[in-house]
Amino acid sequence: MIVRRAARFFDDRFGTNAAVRYVATKVFPDHWSFYLGEFALYAFLMLVATGIWLTFVYDPSPAGAYRSVVELARATPVGYLMRQVHHWSAVVFVAAILLHMARIFFTGAFRKPREINWVVGLSMLVLASLTGFTGYSLPYDVLSGTGLRIADAVLLAVPFAGGWLENVFNGGQFPGPLLISHLYTFHVYFLPIAIAGLLAAHLGMMIYQKHTQFVDEPANVVGRRFWPDYFLRALAALALTAGVVLVLASTFEINPIDEIGPYLGWTVPNPATPDWYAAFLDGALRLGPAIELRLFGHPVPALFWPGIVMPTIVLGVLLAWPWIDAWFARDVEAHDVLVPASRAPWRTGFGCALIAAGTLLTLAAGDDQQSLALHVPIGALLVAYQILVPFGSLAVGVLAFVFARETAIRRRDRALEAERVVGLRRNAAGGFDAERPEIA
Amino acid sequence: MGDDLPRSLTRAAVVTAALAALGAALAAFVHASPALVGGLAALVAFATAFALAATARALHAPDDVREPRTVHATRALEPLPGDVTRRGVFDRFWLYAAGAFAVLGIVPFVALARNAAPSGTKWRAGARLVTPDGVALRADDLAVGGVETVFPEGHVSDYDSTTLLLRLPSDAVGGADRRDWMHDGNVAFSKICTHAGCPVALYRQASLELYCPCHQSVFDVVHAARPVSGPATRALPQLALDVDPEGYLIARGDFSGPIGPDSWGRTA
Ligand code: FES
Repeated sequence: MIVRRAARFFDDRFGTNAAVRYVATKVFPDHWSFYLGEFALYAFLMLVATGIWLTFVYDPSPAGAYRSVVELARATPVGYLMRQVHHWSAVVFVAAILLHMARIFFTGAFRKPREINWVVGLSMLVLASLTGFTGYSLPYDVLSGTGLRIADAVLLAVPFAGGWLENVFNGGQFPGPLLISHLYTFHVYFLPIAIAGLLAAHLGMMIYQKHTQFVDEPANVVGRRFWPDYFLRALAALALTAGVVLVLASTFEINPIDEIGPYLGWTVPNPATPDWYAAFLDGALRLGPAIELRLFGHPVPALFWPGIVMPTIVLGVLLAWPWIDAWFARDVEAHDVLVPASRAPWRTGFGCALIAAGTLLTLAAGDDQQSLALHVPIGALLVAYQILVPFGSLAVGVLAFVFARETAIRRRDRALEAERVVGLRRNAAGGFDAERPEIA
Repeated sequence: MGDDLPRSLTRAAVVTAALAALGAALAAFVHASPALVGGLAALVAFATAFALAATARALHAPDDVREPRTVHATRALEPLPGDVTRRGVFDRFWLYAAGAFAVLGIVPFVALARNAAPSGTKWRAGARLVTPDGVALRADDLAVGGVETVFPEGHVSDYDSTTLLLRLPSDAVGGADRRDWMHDGNVAFSKICTHAGCPVALYRQASLELYCPCHQSVFDVVHAARPVSGPATRALPQLALDVDPEGYLIARGDFSGPIGPDSWGRTA
């Protein structure tokens, strides 16, 4: 058999059999939610494969970018599909990462000893979003050009370094002659290579530290062996990811740039909204208060608060979350067994509040369309969102907290009830058996 | 186990995958519709996924295999050979060296910034207002209520100079700020939003407001385009207008202030 032969070939030269054995007999806990991270991994593979193909037809110059992408889609069905699969894979990639992280968060899988892997995973989410944004911008159509214009303005709002950053990235001022070529370098080299490196670290740490699991048996990993059982399942998940992306790509056209035209600078699409995973930032920019403070004699750009301060705080709290969480719980132990969300009400509350805030900000990025559809003046909607985002998220967080706590209490009561001794019965050996209540 | 799928089904899935792959290749070759090519490719993927999952199931491998965890407990670090720390090998001195290298690393990046001449706009006193097609405009070329994107003549599509020309109805002109910056109801503002730089492209004639499609900042045209709603904090810079002897609209100078989004360096 090929596998056996290959194993022998490498073992003769590098002594790899021990490692092969280690991986082949590694045990994977069996739970559907453990596939979410795998889906992200496979979407990344699809992105790399289609992305390499696309570099052969894309022209990274301000004049040629838009034309090369439009012609690509027109020329052959393969070209059309390659771009569609690439963009849809990016959507699946980010979505799978978010779901995977939600699972990690709400079950406490990030706790000691896996704090570093949480940080690595979160970094990959940030890099994935940046890769998505730069890729979305490469066609230089009127929609993505507008997105670049806004991103450039946010860059300008970085304290002290803003002007320098804009200058370097554009090769001058916006829209500079080197903007597209820099986007291309970031999208094709820096970002994917950084993701690949972090991915290797992510998987390496996971193999070394072993999986968490739901089964309450701290001494062992309980699940299926990698070879051949889990290996086949992983391959099936890979094929499934490919199938889902292909169906999406051939059924729903994403980002039809030939319908909206190239970026000229003085035209703008209406409505102007970014890809869904960046929309919460756009929503924040819309809600940002129209006040201009002065610090050290300089006016603070209006974009500074929603565009720089807000994302920095959210990212900072999330990066530090494993340590914040441990401090909250006064917990210095290592944990390999996952806990249901109800067992950590404050964690669940915080997570739900964050999801609510993200969802509301994303909705706020569509306030102009909602205003048209609902016949509500845009100003009123704006104020409604400005109130709803902080207080609505807070309310969701508190509700989730209370609900989780009640669930935990009910569960404990039920467990206690099951343990309660309602009577004693003499058994055949002459001892006593405890009688427990019957629970439906 | 009773819930086993018959092996023939797995085999059929593999055959389907192979045939669909051939079909997809053929369809791509004859330039069939992307939906057909993509659909066949998806069939390859789904059939393969099915065959793999069915095979995995048929293995009946146990799902409660146990593998002991190793505990990564803290163990005291035993003294290293030669005990480098005690001999002061890593002195504060090395921190300075590291700092020196860091400076070497940072300098090239600081130097990356080009000394681009502060580009500014191309509006000068006497510059004619031309459309994106390069057509110069007279004071009554624009109908009352009309709106047009204009550039300084000779600099069409110069980004920073992008300007919006509007023709106000005469009753609005009476109450307008900077009445002498207008000419015959023509009034011009920078089209680059002072919030995040989108083109302020929408004009609501009924309320005499300019409206930015990106984050819905609203600017009051009659009152020097000051922001009245939305996140923008600064008025759109205005261009003072006049006509030259041939009757064409011209600028009397540059904008009333810096155009576009704020940066920390702006001193205004
Ligand atoms: S760019 Fe105009 S409102 Fe934000």
